[in-house]
Amino acid sequence: MNPLRSFAPRMALAIAAVVLVTSILGAGWGWLRARDALRQQLDLVLAAEAEGLLRDYETYGLRGLAEAAEIYARRRGPLHVLLQTLDGRAVAGSLPSPPGALRGYTTLPATEAAAPLRALGAILPGGVNLIVASDLTSVDRAAYALAWAPPIAGGLAALLALGLGFLLARGLERRLAGVSTAAQAVMAGDLTRRLPESGRGDEFDRLAATINAMLARIETLVAEVRQVTDDIAHDLRSPLSRLRQRLEAALARAREPEADAAALEETLAELDQVLATFAALLRIARAEAGTGREGFSTIDLSTLVAEVADVYAPAAEEAGRPIATEIAPGQQVTGSAPLLRQALANLLDNALSHGAGPIRVALRPGGILEVSDQGPGIPPEEREKVMRRFYRLDRSRGTPGTGLGLSLAAAVARLHGGRLVLRDGPDGRGLAAVLELPYAAA
Amino acid sequence: MRLLIIEDDAATADYLAKGFSEEGLVVDVARNGKDGLFLALNEPFDVIVTDRMLPGPDGLAILRALRASGIATPVLMLTALGEVDRKVEGLEAGADDYLAKPFAFAELRARVRALARRPAAQAEPTELAVGDLRMDLLRRVVTRGAREVELLPTEFRLLEYMLRHPGQVLTRTMLLEKVWDFSFDPTTNVVDVHVSRLRRKLEAGGEAPMIRTVRGAGYMLSAPAPA
Repeated sequence: MNPLRSFAPRMALAIAAVVLVTSILGAGWGWLRARDALRQQLDLVLAAEAEGLLRDYETYGLRGLAEAAEIYARRRGPLHVLLQTLDGRAVAGSLPSPPGALRGYTTLPATEAAAPLRALGAILPGGVNLIVASDLTSVDRAAYALAWAPPIAGGLAALLALGLGFLLARGLERRLAGVSTAAQAVMAGDLTRRLPESGRGDEFDRLAATINAMLARIETLVAEVRQVTDDIAHDLRSPLSRLRQRLEAALARAREPEADAAALEETLAELDQVLATFAALLRIARAEAGTGREGFSTIDLSTLVAEVADVYAPAAEEAGRPIATEIAPGQQVTGSAPLLRQALANLLDNALSHGAGPIRVALRPGGILEVSDQGPGIPPEEREKVMRRFYRLDRSRGTPGTGLGLSLAAAVARLHGGRLVLRDGPDGRGLAAVLELPYAAA
Repeated sequence: MRLLIIEDDAATADYLAKGFSEEGLVVDVARNGKDGLFLALNEPFDVIVTDRMLPGPDGLAILRALRASGIATPVLMLTALGEVDRKVEGLEAGADDYLAKPFAFAELRARVRALARRPAAQAEPTELAVGDLRMDLLRRVVTRGAREVELLPTEFRLLEYMLRHPGQVLTRTMLLEKVWDFSFDPTTNVVDVHVSRLRRKLEAGGEAPMIRTVRGAGYMLSAPAPA
């Protein structure tokens, strides 16, 4: 891994650089402030020294002052005292770089022989000039020492930041590698694989949890698709093999126009059934994929239900199974009229071919559409299964139908953001199929 | 009657051409969108049957080009199975009818005939009549001779559609689509029951039958043969 292509070291490096630059700027500013403060301190010291010497002068006169200056000179300390005439002739004491007559403070620059000096001069009666001076080297050294503290601390901080950054990068790299490995496993076909979670509940865990939820959804979808493929293979294979056998048998037989025509007609009828199954499957697939939502519009559900019930009414009456309607007026939903029409028609087809007794179609306020009959119903444990593709109750195997009607009605309900519920009919008899559609206000 | 078939699948095109020729139609076949559009723009046809998916300009593009050039020839569009929800798109582009593949030839034939006899756009009639059967569209009253026939709203719609296409075979699928807006075939035999009820009401006074069942195809409404 190139460390600069990783986020954390780059961040660490940036932070280290910022810390370093600010601490260097801070050092410059600190040095200036420390030097000024120390020099002011020094000026006070010089003033105090000068005052002491002036007191000597007042007490012992010029001789006493000269002796005191000589003592300072012998001491060779950081303090220098010089007594000179106003034209610069030394009387007593010494100064490495005498400046000539001086009154007040000055700074004497460094010379080849001497360090820079801070000096205070006073003119005494009798034309004598007293100069007290102190070496600036120690002051400057102290200022340097003070100023260097922040950059040293800054440098250390920068180093620490760098180290921490690399550690962090290693940790990140390890977690990302876990995610990457898991993702590759999923890509390779292991759909049960999930991203590792550290259990710390941090941002990475939350992201991993979201992605894991997505992977779970994908796994379910793929499982459903597999199931459907198996169902299709199974449910289309039988009619197709029957077709094949029929054609084979007809071909092997001696040519008889009437028998041939009958065989061909049966074949066509069976083929039409297969095609109807195909069409229903494609519709379910499209509804489940969510296509068709772009064609949604506001639909007067009350009118739609009444119309479909009218279409079925005569056929139901002929079958001795009258349809009673109970339709709340002005019910509107947002959706696809053709699909809702088909969903209701499927429920009515089911009630007519699998149910018994009178049929009731009720549209209640809130987009609740119920089709119920008083037949044998569906046992509670089978209710989920009958909504699956091709699932048929054993007793229904002989009746016509694709076994897809309820699947399509359920898919249409889901497409509309609702659901299909199967429950006991009124009075606990028969079956009530309820389409619950999200309601779009009257 | 002259029919143009635009279809790139050779077997289907030949089958349709043969079928319609036997019906006595003059059939032209184009195997791609370019030839189809050229023929449709330059020759007079009574009906055009075009596949939706075509090499060159596709069915929709041909349709739009025709309508843009002011050619109002009825167009029936064929489409692959399961594209029912794209029907609207085709109808909006100016198709007069829509049929999903695979289809029964009888179904296509009935629809082509219905399109061919479609009267040129004229003022909406206020009355439809076949033989002694009259429908007043304004008062919504149906009479057979002097007898008034009482119909339910759904029966009225069925009869209106049949009266608009007299002497033509109307398949169950066509009735489901055009009368009730059902774009699917219900398991329950709803059409036959409606038709037989309507038939009973029309013949309640002992009149001659007008709605004939065409075996394997559908129904036809026509004036009873003079006795």
